[in-house]
Amino acid sequence: MKKPSLLEGIRILDFTHIVAGPQCTRILGDLGAQVIRVENEQGLDSTRTSPIKVGNGEGINRSGMFEYFNRNKLSMTINARLPLGLQLIKRLLTISDVVIENFSSKVLENWGLSYEEMCKIKPDIIYTSITGFGHNGRDREYSTWGPTAQALSGLTMMSGLPGERPAGWGFSFLDHTAGYNAAIAILMALHYKNKTGKGQWLDLSQIETGMVLTGPSVLDYTVNGRPYRREGNPPGNRSQNPRVAPHNTYKCTGDDRWCVISIFNETEWENFCNATNHKDWLENPKFITNSHRVLSEDDLDSQIQSWTLTKTPEEVMTILQSAGVPAGIVQNNEDKIEKDPQLKAREFFPEVLHRDAGEKFPTDGFPIKFSHTDASIRSGSPPLGADTEYVLKELLEMNDGEIATLYDEAAIL
Amino acid sequence: MIAKDQALEDVVILDLTDEKGMYMGKLLADMGARVILIENPESGHPARSIGPYYNDVPDINGSLLFWYHSTNKESCTIDISKPEGQQLIKALVKKADILLESFQPGFMESLGLSYKSLSEINDKLIMTSITSFGQNGPYSNYKSSNLVSMAMGGIMASCGYDDIADSPPINCDGWQGYATGSNYGAIGTLAALYYRDITGQGQWVDASIHEALSCTTEAAMPNWFYTKQTPKRQTGRHHGIQPTPSTQYLTLDGKLLNGFDIPPRTMERWNGLIAWMKETNMTGDLEDESYREIIRNRVRTGPHVEKIISQISKFIASLPAEEVYHRAQQIRLAWAIIRSPEENLEDPHFREDRNFFVDIYHPNIGKTFIYPGAPYSFTETPWAIRNCAPEHGENTNKILIEDLGLYLDKVNSLRENGVI
Repeated sequence: MKKPSLLEGIRILDFTHIVAGPQCTRILGDLGAQVIRVENEQGLDSTRTSPIKVGNGEGINRSGMFEYFNRNKLSMTINARLPLGLQLIKRLLTISDVVIENFSSKVLENWGLSYEEMCKIKPDIIYTSITGFGHNGRDREYSTWGPTAQALSGLTMMSGLPGERPAGWGFSFLDHTAGYNAAIAILMALHYKNKTGKGQWLDLSQIETGMVLTGPSVLDYTVNGRPYRREGNPPGNRSQNPRVAPHNTYKCTGDDRWCVISIFNETEWENFCNATNHKDWLENPKFITNSHRVLSEDDLDSQIQSWTLTKTPEEVMTILQSAGVPAGIVQNNEDKIEKDPQLKAREFFPEVLHRDAGEKFPTDGFPIKFSHTDASIRSGSPPLGADTEYVLKELLEMNDGEIATLYDEAAIL
Repeated sequence: MIAKDQALEDVVILDLTDEKGMYMGKLLADMGARVILIENPESGHPARSIGPYYNDVPDINGSLLFWYHSTNKESCTIDISKPEGQQLIKALVKKADILLESFQPGFMESLGLSYKSLSEINDKLIMTSITSFGQNGPYSNYKSSNLVSMAMGGIMASCGYDDIADSPPINCDGWQGYATGSNYGAIGTLAALYYRDITGQGQWVDASIHEALSCTTEAAMPNWFYTKQTPKRQTGRHHGIQPTPSTQYLTLDGKLLNGFDIPPRTMERWNGLIAWMKETNMTGDLEDESYREIIRNRVRTGPHVEKIISQISKFIASLPAEEVYHRAQQIRLAWAIIRSPEENLEDPHFREDRNFFVDIYHPNIGKTFIYPGAPYSFTETPWAIRNCAPEHGENTNKILIEDLGLYLDKVNSLRENGVI
C-alpha cells in the first residue's frame, strides 16, 4: 500500500533559481508539498541552459542540471513587471503556505512584494529569502556564487594539503547547504504555525550557513587564541582532532583510484595489521602505539600505500571491512550510480519520466526513509510554463475568459 | 527586549547520538527544543574526548568540539547497557517527543529499545536513527568515519588539485560529512514532526549519511545520469568535464582571492573593472577594442583571454585583499577573499550588522566566549543559545528527580551501581 506524503496539502510559491533555492524546494517537493515555480523567459533560470543535456535533446526543457534540482515541481510563467502579472502572483499568494526566493535583496520589494505587503494579502505566509550576505547589513548588495561563499566562510581554506594552496570544494557545497538550512527553517516555521497560526520571515545568508560549519576552529581562536591560518593547516586527509594515525587517502591500482583508511583505536590497528598480512607492524617500535604512529606518520602512510597500490579500492575496502576496520572507496559518480551495492539495496536511484524527452532516467532518491510515510519522486522537472493552465484553472479556478485576458496582456507567456 | 517564543520550545528530545548526530541535536536545541543528551557515565559523549580543548588541556568538560555542538543541551548520564539504564530510557521516552540515536543498526533492538518497543510505550514518538549507511543493505554494518563517509558519498572525488601530480582527492577539515548527514537528519525529523502535528502519528526516521552526501555533489550526478561523464577535480574551483582556468589570485598582502567570473560576463562589469584598473595605470593593453569583443561574445579560452587573466592577476597582486574584495563587489564582481574562519570576526557586516557572532557565558569557568551563531534568522521565533554546553552529568539528578519523580535514595543507589 502506498504510504502518505509528509507535507501533503502544503503549497510553495517558488521564485528560486540556480541551485540554492531549488535545492530547498526539491526537498519540500520530495516530501509531498506542491511546488509552483514562477518563471519567466526574460529572467530565465540559467540552470535551464546548462550544458548537460537530457536524452541528446536541445533547448531549455532538456537541461540535466534543471531536471536534477526541479523534479516534482510545476512551472508557470508570469511577467511580474506587468500589473496583471503582479495581481496574479498576489492571487497565488492567497493559496500558498510558503513563498521562497533567492534573488538579490531588493528584487521582490521592487515588484511591490515586500514581506509587509505579502502579510497584507496572506497574514500567515512563511516568507523565505536566501542571499549570499542576508537581507540586512552593509554588504547586503554584494553577490556570491557557491565558490565565493565557500571562500568567505572559511570552508575553502579548510580543504587542502598542508603547505599548498587550498583545494577548496569542487562544487557549490554551500548552494546545497543553504538549501538544506532553508528547508530546516521552513519546517520549523510550519511547526510553529501549526501551534500558533502565525507565519514569519526566514532570512538566510549562504555564507553564514557555511560559517556555522567552522565552529570548533573559530572557538579554538576565540577561546585559545589559535588562528586557523597557521603552518600545517589544513591537514589534508590526516586527522588533527582526534590526532590518530593512520587516517588518510591511499592510491590504489587503476587510473586515479583511491581508498581511505581511518583507524581510531588499538583494536582496529591490530585488525588492520592482521588483515593486510603486516603482523610485523605490530612489533615495529615506530608503530607500537597511536602516539608512535602519529610521529612516524609519513613512513606509515607510505608503507600502507605500498600495500594499497597492489589492490583496487574495492578490494581494500572489502578486506578491511571484513576485519572491522573503517575503510572506503573514493567513489565518483559512476561508482555510486552503477556499482555501489548499498545504494542499490536501498533503491536510491528511482527512475523518473522526463516530461519533455518522454523517456525515463534514473535520479537520486531521498536520503531518509520513513516508517509511516513516504518521500517520493512523482514526476520529472517541468518544461517552462507547462503547468500554467493547470494552476490557473484547477488551483485558482479561473474561467477561460480570464485566462485569455492574461494571455492577451502578456501577463502569462 | 521582549522575549519571544522559540519555534521548538514545546518539543522534548532524548539525544543518544555520537559525533554523527551531534550537529542535528544542536540545530534543534538552538531553536528551542529541550534536548537531553544521554551520556555514558564513565567516558561521556565521544566528542568530549576529541579536541581542540580549552587551554589545550584534555578534560571531559573541556572539548571545544563538544562545547560547540552541545549548546542548550542537558546532560544526563545513563549506562544503557544495563537493564536499569534501559528502564530509565523507557521512562524518559514516555515524556519525550523525539528520540535521536546513531548506533549501528540492530544495537538499539538488542537493548530492547527498538522503535517497535518504544512506540508501544509512546505511540507519538518520532525516533530518528542517523547512521553511516542506513538501517539495511550490505554496508549497513560497515565501520565508518567522517572521512569514509566523505569518500564513499562522492564529495572527495570532486575536491583536490589538477596542478599537483598524483595528488589525492581531498576531504575538508572539520566534520562536514556528519554535518550534512545531520542537516538531512533534522529535515527528516522536522518533516515527521509536522506530520505528527497534523495526524497525531509518530514514526521511525531512517537517515543515511551515505545517501545525504551522495546527493550533495552538484553537477556530478546529473553528469552521469544524462551524459555518462565524470567531471575531474580542479584546484580551488568547480570540477569540470573540460578544464577551466584557475580562479585563485594572490594579493599584495599574501592572501588568496577567489576571482570568480574572470573575464567578466557582462560589459557593465568589464567597464567597471577597466575604470578601476586605470586608477593605477594597470590596464596594460586591455582598453583595446578587441578585448571588448571577447567580453561581448563571452569567450572563455584563447590568447586574448589568457592576456586578460594575466593582466588582472598583476592588478590583483598590486592591492591588499580587503581592498580588492570590496572594490570588486561594488562593481558587481562576485570576487571573494579566501578567508580563514576566524577572519570573519573582523568583518563588520557579519560582526556588527548581522550580529552573527554571539557571546556565551560559561558559568563554571566564569568567562564569556565568542561563538559562531545562527544559520538563519526568524522574525517571530529566534535562534538562541540559552546555555553553554553542560558539564558531564550536570543535569542527571534534576532529570531523574523532577522529570521521572525518583526519590533521592533511588538516584543514589543507581549511582552506586554505576547505572548513572
